[in-house]
Amino acid sequence: MTDTSTLKMTARDVSVYYGAKQAIDKVSIDVTTENVTAFIGPSGCGKSTFLRTLNRMNDTIPSCRMTGKIELDSEDIYASGMDVVQLRARVGMVFQKPNPFPKSIYENVAYGPRIHGLASGKSDMDAIVEKSLRRAGLWDEVKDRLTESGTALSGGQQQRLCIARAIAVSPEVILMDEPCSALDPIATAKIEELIHELRGRYAIVIVTHNMQQAARVSQRTAFFHLGNLVEYGVTSEIFTNPREEKTKDYITGRYG
Amino acid sequence: MTSPATPTVPEGAIAPRKPTDWKSPEMQRRIRRRYGAETRFKLLGLAAVTISAGFLAFLLITMSWNGFGGFLQTRIELPVNLATSSALIDSATLKAPDAKTKLSNAGLDGVVAEAATKAYGVNGAELVSESAWTELRDAIIADPTLLDKPTTLSLPISSDLAEALKGEGTPELLAAAKQVKAKLSRGFNSGFLTQSDATDPTQVGIWGAFKGSLLTMFVTIILAFPIGVLSAVYLEEYAPRNRWTDLIEVSINNLAAVPSIIFGLLGLAVFLNFMGMPRSAPLVGGLTLALMTMPVIVIAGRNAIKSVPPSIRDAALGVGASRVQVVFHHVLPLALPGILTGTIIGMARALGETAPLLMIGMRAFIATPPSGISEPASVLPVQIFLWSDEVSRGFVEKTSAAIIVLLVFLLAMNGIAIYLRNRFETRW
Repeated sequence: MTDTSTLKMTARDVSVYYGAKQAIDKVSIDVTTENVTAFIGPSGCGKSTFLRTLNRMNDTIPSCRMTGKIELDSEDIYASGMDVVQLRARVGMVFQKPNPFPKSIYENVAYGPRIHGLASGKSDMDAIVEKSLRRAGLWDEVKDRLTESGTALSGGQQQRLCIARAIAVSPEVILMDEPCSALDPIATAKIEELIHELRGRYAIVIVTHNMQQAARVSQRTAFFHLGNLVEYGVTSEIFTNPREEKTKDYITGRYG
Repeated sequence: MTSPATPTVPEGAIAPRKPTDWKSPEMQRRIRRRYGAETRFKLLGLAAVTISAGFLAFLLITMSWNGFGGFLQTRIELPVNLATSSALIDSATLKAPDAKTKLSNAGLDGVVAEAATKAYGVNGAELVSESAWTELRDAIIADPTLLDKPTTLSLPISSDLAEALKGEGTPELLAAAKQVKAKLSRGFNSGFLTQSDATDPTQVGIWGAFKGSLLTMFVTIILAFPIGVLSAVYLEEYAPRNRWTDLIEVSINNLAAVPSIIFGLLGLAVFLNFMGMPRSAPLVGGLTLALMTMPVIVIAGRNAIKSVPPSIRDAALGVGASRVQVVFHHVLPLALPGILTGTIIGMARALGETAPLLMIGMRAFIATPPSGISEPASVLPVQIFLWSDEVSRGFVEKTSAAIIVLLVFLLAMNGIAIYLRNRFETRW
């Protein structure tokens, strides 16, 4: 289905359990750099859970267990030799609720590069911060107040700051967990525009409730239902000509 | 999906309701009752606040009233003529390196008694403090010309005279007190802040106990703060949730509620009897109080860490921070104000603690301030307890004065805590 030369991540037969309860049942998906992948589905269908297995954020939940195989550049991320901390730097994440650190805007962006030793000096760090903020489309709005607290920004600006923070460590993949659900339509439009611009540079996976948003920003869509991957394919086909009855029912608003 | 059908109710099954009359007498009564309840609640709350504030004000006012005198000292004028006195001191003695010791053995107490008898009659020597000669000694060292000429010194009065001035004592003393009234002066007693415990209430000072408290608090915070905070961090961020951690949690909560004297017994058994540490020392006091303070810090620390939003942890983990980095870069700075508040509450409790320290021997009579954490020492609350037990009436105002010092110490500590908290809070 996808050109293997740009294949970034592959998931094969991934199942996730919370204690005895199965949340994800044998899901297989490919993520590429040139296409934005959207996960859609009704609440509680497991799309966020699956997203969090891609950078092992689920490891922080004690009862969570997974089986199957996920590879990043053909490297098994659940292999014993994989360093989780480095993995999370390579597979960045943007969360549902904007969560800037209660520090200055500059510090928010500089934190990741600093702990990974990516900048060789003050001027290098300045350059990383500026580049990241520019890519996140926030530079012009905050360049004069980099020392102000990140929490003083508006919701939409905070979310773009979080994207800048994720970009600053030069990840290969960016996972976005409903990044616009707490934002107003104008801020949402800006984030969507930003996703367009970032596409091709980073492999982007976005979880969304909003089917219009999935249609607007993604090239590949995966439809989840009750822990199963019902359908996965080219976005335009899923929305205009779904193969499965369930997908059709969902995107036409029968349930969800 | 079928649209939900409107439930069909047979006509007449439910009597048609009259529109609510918001102006009916019943409604008016209801409104009046509501207003009444609100007013009563407000008054009750106000009364509660007034009563507690009243008690506090009463305590502070009586303490200041009684303790004020403790900071004052009555002095008596005494003409002294060393040239004609019995003491044999020449100016050569004063030049010797051990002049102070030599002077101390030169019979200056006799000189003072002699001068007092001469000035105020038979009972004269009883009017001047027994240790007044030390002031004479210091005056001579400061000004050697005193040896050759008559002078008038202002010396502290004896505790007997102090009591006589308040109307208690033998008839002779009462008469003497009346007689010398014009020669008395009242001033700030700097000795109260620089001296240590003594048997004579006019000679006691708080410095020894104060320094003992400082050293004890130092040992307490050095031990309890890091251990408490690290335990809190470990339990909250690292420990797996299982039966063992539940057990530890319950134990810590219980430990915080254990009566303080039990900790004293523990300190006696473990630190003194088993480990053989020095008795009455701030080291042992600090260790015992640290045991008592630690659970308070752990509980406050865990609550503060728990209240840091999980989204901050996610954010840090999401950019590839390790767990230690998450804790030290993000969680602890955000939890610090809460941890500090808990620490100060624990420290304030430790500062005011008497019972456990009695058990480890800190109730001894200590007349010299401790020079280190393993020297015998007293602490402020124990000193207050000891003085309140004294028979001599002169100790009453000293007790109140010591309480004032303790309260000021406590307020200063809380002030520092509030300052630190605000400082760390404004940073984020």
